Amino acid sequence: MGDIKLTADTLKPVPVWRRFLVPGIILILLILVPVFASEYVVYVAVLAIIYAMLAGSYDLTTGYAGPLTFCHGAFYGLGAYASALLTIKASFPFWIAFPISGILVFIFAFIIGYPALKLKGHYFAVTTFFFGYFVYLVLLNSAKLTGGPMGLRGIQAPESFFGINFATLQGSYYLTLFFAVLFLGFLYFLVNSGFGRMLVAIRENEDLAEATGINTALFKVLAFSLGAAIAGMTGSLFAHFFRLLHPTTFAWMTSEMIVIMALVGGLGTLIGPIIGAFIVTFILEIMRFAPEYRYIIWSLALIIILIIEPAGLMGIVRRLQRRKR
Amino acid sequence: MLLQQIINGIIIGSSYALIALGLNLIWSITDIADFAQGGIYVIAAYVAYYVVTAAKLPFILGWLCAIVIGGGLAYLIERFLYRRWTGKSRIQLLCAIALFFLMANLAILLFTPKAKIFPAYVQGAFNVGGFTVSFQRVVVLLVSAALFVVVFLFIMKTRMGKAIRAASQDRLVAQVVGINIHTVNSTVFVLGGMLSATAAVLISPLYAVFPAMGDLPLLKSLVVVILGGFGSVAGVLVGGLGLGLAESLGSVYISSAYQHGFAFFVLILVLMFFPKGLFGRV
Repeated sequence: MGDIKLTADTLKPVPVWRRFLVPGIILILLILVPVFASEYVVYVAVLAIIYAMLAGSYDLTTGYAGPLTFCHGAFYGLGAYASALLTIKASFPFWIAFPISGILVFIFAFIIGYPALKLKGHYFAVTTFFFGYFVYLVLLNSAKLTGGPMGLRGIQAPESFFGINFATLQGSYYLTLFFAVLFLGFLYFLVNSGFGRMLVAIRENEDLAEATGINTALFKVLAFSLGAAIAGMTGSLFAHFFRLLHPTTFAWMTSEMIVIMALVGGLGTLIGPIIGAFIVTFILEIMRFAPEYRYIIWSLALIIILIIEPAGLMGIVRRLQRRKR
Repeated sequence: MLLQQIINGIIIGSSYALIALGLNLIWSITDIADFAQGGIYVIAAYVAYYVVTAAKLPFILGWLCAIVIGGGLAYLIERFLYRRWTGKSRIQLLCAIALFFLMANLAILLFTPKAKIFPAYVQGAFNVGGFTVSFQRVVVLLVSAALFVVVFLFIMKTRMGKAIRAASQDRLVAQVVGINIHTVNSTVFVLGGMLSATAAVLISPLYAVFPAMGDLPLLKSLVVVILGGFGSVAGVLVGGLGLGLAESLGSVYISSAYQHGFAFFVLILVLMFFPKGLFGRV
């Protein structure tokens, strides 16, 4: 692998305040959004935060551990449906269904990932593509359970907690933002820990990593399943925010959008995919007047990004920094 | 009923095998899982459809136009996109997937999502043992078989074919002995585009022409390539027909809702026991 040049975050220590400068500014702005923005903007911001969680967790699997996958949207969908069905059919409260959906998706991804990750290169990427399609097919066809093409209705908003009503837009905005900070903070901690460095070692040279005694298969499947579990819990948040699920929400295009967001920002940087998710979501909203052009423009955008700078926005930033020195 | 399903399975399987043949050549030589072939499949079907219905030209001309457009698109994509990233297979794969979505969505924009009925190119049917087989299906089968033989002879008997085989075994050594790798690449891409276009034109009168028509054939042909193993014409044939049969029989005896999911099961099962594919030689 290693053909997309990723950050060498081992190169030079950056002062702590500078590391948290950009995320800090983004967070403060996000906390202030419901104060001064219209309901519509808040609504879009919830979606953007959800996408940021998806792109960030995708970065753990593909950006840090290396294997290219095309089924992140499927894990997102599995988590959404799992949580919705647990609350509707088994009348679990949201606060229990939410972690359970993450655990279920983790187990599921582990079972799928363990045999599949033994495949090398494109074999694995293509297999994940099929897996994503297969999940879509199951969601569409098990109509008795999921409502199939009619969609799944009757999902409740999360129960109030400390007197905060999550049925309101502001309530769900802060709920989503809270978990985004939690999950992305966890991912940040993870990729900067020994675990993250092992993943980078595997990405850069799997044979060498294995020779130094790293159980590469286990670490890769852990990165894959952890990324999937976060996507699953993000799906649960989405389900109880949107309160209507349809299989097409979790079809190929979602997985592809996540890949585009991560690439726009720059794989293997964590902050890159998060910024990418915001940019892509807001441009998608601006383009709402011409939905038939959306995917055309995004496919073209992806090709152009690959031609100009496969390392994305963060690659451009790094290139500018290098020129300054 | 059983015999009918077997015939259906062989016909749909032969169309998978046709696309997979091109994909397999491309994949084994350039290390690209060329999703763009799924887009070429769609565009080629529309080209043939408009040549036959709007321009009222004979079917054979529609096919020729589709082949020219399919081969041309594949050539341009290889020449101006994939070639930039020689050796960077991850970027090539991302680009291929982007191209696939681009072409499928362009088809929605240009030709509307509504399914169009491709007029049958051969009328009539005949009776065998109490059930009817339309001549059209026979044509699909015969043309596919003929093309397989032609491609097989091309790879085995011609100088270019020899170069392709050499490049699929080792690109570097092939270049060392004086094979122009760019010509080889262009040849397999044009061949792949033509085969995908042919598969689209052959199969679309049996179903319909619509922008999402390329999705499933593409996915299943990729399964066939993985099943059959790299650089194996026989593997493609067995993989394609096997998958076609598994689908048509599975849809009757197991569940028709999951007809398109069988490919995934077959893939996982085969990869568990034969990680290099059925006929893999690595």
